[in-house]
Amino acid sequence: MSTESMNTPTRALALFISDLHLQASHPRTADAFFRFLSEQAPQAEALYLLGDIFEYWAGDDDLETPFNAAIAAALRELGERGVAVYWMAGNRDFLVGPGFAQAAGLTLLAEPHLASFGGRQVVLVHGDAQCTGDLKYMAFRAQVRDPAWQAQFLAMPLAQRKAIIAGLREGSRSAHADKSMDIMDVAAEAVTALHAQADTIIHGHTHRPALHRQEGLRRFVLPDWELDEEPVRGGWIAIDADGNITRHTLDGSAL
Amino acid sequence: MTTILITTNQGNIKAELDDAKAPKTVENFLYYVNKGHFDNTIFHRVIKDFMIQGGGFEPGMKQKDTDQTVENEGKNGLKNDKYTLAMARTSAPHSASAQFFINTKGNDFLNYPGQDGWGYAVFGKVVEGQDVVDQINNVKTTRAGMHADVPADAVIIEKIEVVQ
Repeated sequence: MSTESMNTPTRALALFISDLHLQASHPRTADAFFRFLSEQAPQAEALYLLGDIFEYWAGDDDLETPFNAAIAAALRELGERGVAVYWMAGNRDFLVGPGFAQAAGLTLLAEPHLASFGGRQVVLVHGDAQCTGDLKYMAFRAQVRDPAWQAQFLAMPLAQRKAIIAGLREGSRSAHADKSMDIMDVAAEAVTALHAQADTIIHGHTHRPALHRQEGLRRFVLPDWELDEEPVRGGWIAIDADGNITRHTLDGSAL
Repeated sequence: MTTILITTNQGNIKAELDDAKAPKTVENFLYYVNKGHFDNTIFHRVIKDFMIQGGGFEPGMKQKDTDQTVENEGKNGLKNDKYTLAMARTSAPHSASAQFFINTKGNDFLNYPGQDGWGYAVFGKVVEGQDVVDQINNVKTTRAGMHADVPADAVIIEKIEVVQ
C-alpha cells in the first residue's frame, strides 16, 4: 500500500568525465571511452567533458589523424542521438578549438563554468587553474593560455608543434618526480574562491577521485582513466533530475 | 509464454510475457491483471525516447492502491531493449507492485546491475502495436501537481487481459 512516488526509472540530467588522456598507444582506454559513449552517455541529456580528454592536442588540424578523427566522430554521433556535449580545456589539450568543436558537434566551455541541474548550482573547472601552489605550472599556464602565444604556436607546421609538445611532455614527466604531493593538488584558497559561486564543485586534473565535504559544501573530484596499465582506473559522475549527484566506477556501479 | 492485450484509447498493444525468465514478476503482474487493477488506469509518466510508464493512476492522477510487491528479478538476463516491458519501482529494489513501463529506446543503463546494483526487471516485450507505443512516446506532456512528464491528454489503459 505504497503512496511513495515511483519516479524511477530516471534518466541522468548530466554525466561528467575528465582525464582520459586518450592516445593511440593506449587502445584499451580508448575502447572504454567508446563503450562509455555508446552505452552510458546516451542515458543523459548532457555530457560534460572536463579536460584532458586527449593526452595532448597539437591543433585542430591534427583531426587528420585517424585516431583523433574517430573520437570526433563518436562525439558527433552522440550529439546526433540527442545528448548535448560540452567540452572544457585541460592542461594537456587546451589547444582544442572551434575546428574540433564543429567536427565533434560539441560546445566549448570557458572556466569556471556555472551550471544549474535540477535547481542545484554546480561550478565546473578542469582543476589545473586551482593548483595555485605550483608556481612554475601557473607561470607556464599563463603563457600557453595567452591567445597571442597560441596564435603564434598554431602558425607553426603541425610536425613542429608535435615535436615541441613531445619535448614538453618529457619535461613534465621528470618535473613530476620532483614535485611534492601538496602542490600537485588544488589549493584551499582556490577551492574557497570557487565555492563563492556554488556549494558544489566538480573537477578533475588531480587524478585523486573523491568527494570532499565541508559544512554543506561539496567538492567532487573525477578519476582519470587508465585501462592499458595497472592499476585500472576510471569512472564518472552523474546528476539526476532532482539534483542528486552520484559517483560511478567503470562498470556503472555507484560508489 | 503468456500473451496479454493492453487496450488503450490510442490503440491496442499486444505483449508476450516471459514466465520462464521472470516467473515471479509475471505472476505478480498477472495477479493485478486478473483482479482488474489496470482497468481505467493511465500512462501517467511519459519521457520521450526513454520510456512510457503506467498502471498506477486513474485519469485525474488519482493513485490506485496496491497490495503486494514482487522481488526484483533484474538479474534474469533480459535486457531493457526498445519495446520491452519492465517493472517500475521506488529506489527500494523490491518495491515493484503494479506500475510498469515500456522502453521506447534501448536503455542499457537500466539493465542489472544498473545504477544501484539491482537494475530494472524486464518481464515481457511488445509483439504487436509498436506503432501505438511510438504514438504514446510522442504525446505532449506537462506537469500535474507534483508529477512531471504527465501526458497533457490522458492516455488511458481501458483494460489489460490475458489472450493466450
